[in-house]
Amino acid sequence: MLNSPANFQVNGRAAARPYCMAIHHTELETPPGREPLPEAERPKLDTLRERLQPLKELPGSSIEALYAAQELFSYVPPEAITMIAEELKIPESQVFGVATFYTMFSLEPQPPNVLRVCRDLSCHLAGAPKLIGALEQELGVPRGHASPDGQFIVKVVSCLGLCDMQPAMLVNLDQHGPVMPDDVPNLLDDIRNGAG
Amino acid sequence: MELVVTRNFGNPKPWTLASYRESGGYEALERVLKEMSPEDVTELIKASNLTGRGGAFFPTGLKWEFVRKDPKTPRYVVVNADESEPGTYVNRLSLELDPHMTIEGMIIAAYASNAERGYFYIRGEYGLSHERVKAALREAYDAGFLGQGICGRDDFNLEVEFRRGAGAYIVGEETALFNSLEGKRGNPRFKPPFPTNFGVWGLPTAINNVETLAAAPAIVMKGAEWFKDLGIGDAAGTKMYCLSGNVVNPVCVELPLGVSAREVIMDHGGGVPEGRTLKGFKPGGASSAPLTPAELDAPLEPKSMAELGTIMGTGGVVVFDDTACMVDVAYRDALFFEDESCGFCIPCREGTPNLVQICERILHGQGTMDDLDLLEELGASMMASFCGLGHFAHQPVRGAVSRFREEFEAYIHGGHRRAET
Ligand SMILES: Cc1cc2nc3c(=O)[nH]c(=O)nc-3n(C[C@H](O)[C@H](O)[C@H](O)COP(=O)(O)O)c2cc1C
Ligand code: SF4
Ligand code: FES
Repeated sequence: MLNSPANFQVNGRAAARPYCMAIHHTELETPPGREPLPEAERPKLDTLRERLQPLKELPGSSIEALYAAQELFSYVPPEAITMIAEELKIPESQVFGVATFYTMFSLEPQPPNVLRVCRDLSCHLAGAPKLIGALEQELGVPRGHASPDGQFIVKVVSCLGLCDMQPAMLVNLDQHGPVMPDDVPNLLDDIRNGAG
Repeated sequence: MELVVTRNFGNPKPWTLASYRESGGYEALERVLKEMSPEDVTELIKASNLTGRGGAFFPTGLKWEFVRKDPKTPRYVVVNADESEPGTYVNRLSLELDPHMTIEGMIIAAYASNAERGYFYIRGEYGLSHERVKAALREAYDAGFLGQGICGRDDFNLEVEFRRGAGAYIVGEETALFNSLEGKRGNPRFKPPFPTNFGVWGLPTAINNVETLAAAPAIVMKGAEWFKDLGIGDAAGTKMYCLSGNVVNPVCVELPLGVSAREVIMDHGGGVPEGRTLKGFKPGGASSAPLTPAELDAPLEPKSMAELGTIMGTGGVVVFDDTACMVDVAYRDALFFEDESCGFCIPCREGTPNLVQICERILHGQGTMDDLDLLEELGASMMASFCGLGHFAHQPVRGAVSRFREEFEAYIHGGHRRAET
């Protein structure tokens, strides 16, 4: 969900969503994934090329290739997309298409700790809105933005299959739940101290 | 009650090969390879009435037979572990606790459908499952259950590749999963041709849910009649039901297919929290339309759920008590489908944001009675969608309107504030 209903206000009242989401998104957002890789990061491209070599033997492994890039850079820079296309011999448009299709890939640099909080039914009933609110408050930024210390980002996502731990969240790939708003400060401290 | 697919969950380190072997693991595979032809296996599975636990409940034995009868080679087996239906976590538990049982089922499926290659595809968010399944596959290779000349039979080979997704509900749809395996965007493909003839890489493919495959070894060991009799009435076997929402114990229990929702929610889930009353429940994940307490005694199996205008789905039972707002519940479902629509076809790409918009309008006190009719019309037009996601997306919203209409009307006629979001 890119736009919460609060984004649309008519006479100070929340208004219903515009008819065509697609048009609205392009108006609001500059196309991601266009910024060239900073000079200091470029040596890592050689590492990426090495890591792509075994994938050449596995047809259809563009997802793994994109994971390899994201592990190195924290996101998928445009140079990585070009390189994956060259090495795996598939069209660049296809690699870009895959990178933008799956929600776990980011075309913008990401903090080291991505907090994915489930917003779906079971977690919602169990208090996910309060959990998301507590995270936003504790980090001092709304969802989708890096925290000022550059350590965290909160992403509000679809069901994580952790509904038995409702309300649930992932810290990168580590499962947490149920997480109550009061647990948030300690959880963030644990992550900062490397125990998350 | 005899357990089938969860029977090892309480064992020490049940995810290791040693533990699985101790509880009789891979004996079914050994029996199949020693005593049965591929035809025998498909006849056995057909006789057991095992049907697909991924939600479509297609007869599993028949599927394997279709694949075997297609002359194109190499044939494939694929494990569908993309589980992403809101309110569902049954496959995750199987992958984390007993990956070998699914792998054994996969190898039996490969033998029965004469397949020599396989993929084990797990959604990207299931980190612990990735580790457990990768380790289990390695163990199975080392023990000679995978690779060339399985269990000393030099005419039976199976090479399995582990794959993970990267966040997309639609990839659980089988043809979308094939596109994902081929390194493409996870858009669905047109059916027919069906996966059994035109699956991954255009080759015959037996794709099955984790829970379906995990049931196969027990059927081999204990027989078709035994499995069939585990279910209630016409339904065969067991199902993992998992509870969440406003329920005291959000747990997963394996029960006979066809138990009543009452037994699942009240006896195993402990009902709603003290001081609250049950308002309704969903029988099988977000895609299923909600039911009322009056329908608690309906058996949770595909046929009776269809008669009630909902679906059996995944067995993800979501419970609502009197604090839940059914308009908000419908809105949550709509948001999910709006987010997860792959955008490939117009009825779904445009229909899902419209569902959201109508729900928002009603929640904001700006809805009209016409909106309720509009939902029906929109639902009808979304039946023209390209795949199941579009066909299902409007059902929970319309189902909520038909069973909890007074709540929608209360918003429309004022008197309700916007629920907390
Ligand atoms: C939108 C959509 C999502 C689906 N997601 C899943 C899923 O996550 N896991 C699954 O096993 N089947 C899913 N299915 C069903 C599969 O297409 C397919 O029927 C199933 O994997 C077949 O295996 P089975 O016969 O063992 O159930 C989905 C279907 C649709 C239409
Ligand atoms: S119905 Fe929805 S998910 Fe299916 S192809 Fe169309 S847009 Fe994609
Ligand atoms: S609904 Fe939150 S993890 Fe499933």
